[in-house]
Amino acid sequence: MKTVEEIKAAIEAAVPGAGVEFVPNPSPSAQHSLRLAPESAVAVAKFLRDDDELAFDFLSNLTGVDWPDKEIAEKVKVTRQVTKTVDGPEGKVDQTVDETVEETHKRVEPGYLEAVYHLYSVEKKHGPLVIRMRTANRTDQAQLPSLTPVWRAAEFQEREIFDLYGIVFTGHPDLRRILMWDEFKDHPMRKDYVEPDDFEYEPTPHDEVLNRAQEHKSEGLGTGD
Amino acid sequence: MAVDQNLKIELGKQGIFVTTIEELYNWGRRSSVWPMQFGLACCAIEMIATTMARYDLARFGAEVFRPSPRQADLMIVSGTVTKKMAPQVVRLYNQMAEPRYVIAMGACAISGGPFKQGYNVLKGIDRYIPVDVHIPGCPPRPEALIQAFMTLQKKIDGQPLTGEGRPRHLDAEAQGEFAVPEQGEHDLEPTSNKGVWPVPITIR
Amino acid sequence: MASSSYFSLSVLFVAALGFGLAPLGLAWLWARVYSPPKPNAIKNAIYECGLESKGDAWMGFRSAYYLYGIIFLIFDVEAVFLLPFAVAFTGLGAAACAAMLVFVLLLVEGLAWAWAKGVLTWQ
Repeated sequence: MKTVEEIKAAIEAAVPGAGVEFVPNPSPSAQHSLRLAPESAVAVAKFLRDDDELAFDFLSNLTGVDWPDKEIAEKVKVTRQVTKTVDGPEGKVDQTVDETVEETHKRVEPGYLEAVYHLYSVEKKHGPLVIRMRTANRTDQAQLPSLTPVWRAAEFQEREIFDLYGIVFTGHPDLRRILMWDEFKDHPMRKDYVEPDDFEYEPTPHDEVLNRAQEHKSEGLGTGD
Repeated sequence: MAVDQNLKIELGKQGIFVTTIEELYNWGRRSSVWPMQFGLACCAIEMIATTMARYDLARFGAEVFRPSPRQADLMIVSGTVTKKMAPQVVRLYNQMAEPRYVIAMGACAISGGPFKQGYNVLKGIDRYIPVDVHIPGCPPRPEALIQAFMTLQKKIDGQPLTGEGRPRHLDAEAQGEFAVPEQGEHDLEPTSNKGVWPVPITIR
Repeated sequence: MASSSYFSLSVLFVAALGFGLAPLGLAWLWARVYSPPKPNAIKNAIYECGLESKGDAWMGFRSAYYLYGIIFLIFDVEAVFLLPFAVAFTGLGAAACAAMLVFVLLLVEGLAWAWAKGVLTWQ
């Protein structure tokens, strides 16, 4: 099989303006992946499937990843001029001194949802190729193009990702919840999901359950006690 | 009027069989408990094994697994009850004719088991329907199911026809319908049926 | 009357009737005395797979369904005739073989007619 870099070059040659990005994997497995731009993803996917040399005819697995908003603390060294009173031989004198201070800047990196596709070629006996797509954010713009028209195997798994992560796949033929019921509103695999407070508290809880029990008690919520 | 046990044995030695309506009735009921043909998860495999030749549940008169709730006496809740499946299980229980019994088989059916802290699994079927026998285990061995079955038979045997402690189906006042939970926006509503499951009080 | 040859038969008839009806009567009596009926909407629902019933059980089936059923039944019954014929095949002459062929051909003709009329096309 071609390396991931070579595949990236092949995609860029075949699909103009593909906007494919190489995502390295620094772990020993070195399973690098390609990040597709949502706008050109279907065209790139068609190329990956139909190209004679690549022929990725089998979508084996697809999954979602939730990347919540990240708060990044950066330490920056700032040099400022500070006026100090120094005890000199001529008595107390005000002096201007350069002082280096470490300041912590906090910035919030917005989160996003990601769909990861694992492709194999049964014909050429190679794979996997990992491709990813990212949504613009986690709330109102959680749309990605559906790859079900390219690989039919994506249908149920895209429904599952829609169900558990809330990524809306545009162009999906039948986007309904698959595991949870239709009336359900949450997306349970998201990291900020709050479970319903229907826990059965044992008479003597401990550890994490004790914390939950105390929370349950303080909020006056519960199953009717 | 209860028969004196010693007299009964003595008469039996002489070839005279003495019984009461209650004994006869309970003997008939406990010897032909027909389970419902219905499995939810991996415990169902153990339930199937229990009915097969090696363990042979037919010895207890329970080989007839009925595919319709109307003809079944016993619901073996064998496996994980997900919140999506719970309304169906409760509805099936409601459709069974009295007298009806429930065996909650395995860790999931009695408490949610390894999925207890998850979002999608019901934390014990006894939140919605009255359970007669609980079997722990993940999954319980067929011997455990047979044990539960014998416990249920003992329970049936001890039920009087009239008065205090008579089974639900002989009591006009007893509850006949158990509310089917609705699938709400975040969880099942209500999270348990009142009068069926007492909410445990947390002691700290 | 006791001498009538039908007397013993009538006694047996009454006994047989009683044998069938007595358990039903006892069961009815038992239900009246001991177990009170507690019907409810869920228990009386027509569908028994745990899902909610939708619509009525008394619905019309399309006539095409019955035509399908009849054609299936004809060939089902034909097999009943063919089996003894096949078992005795070695002992039969050419006339029996021809008779069976005519029988099968008549049925096939009916099928061909139904096919041509478009009965087998499910709309």
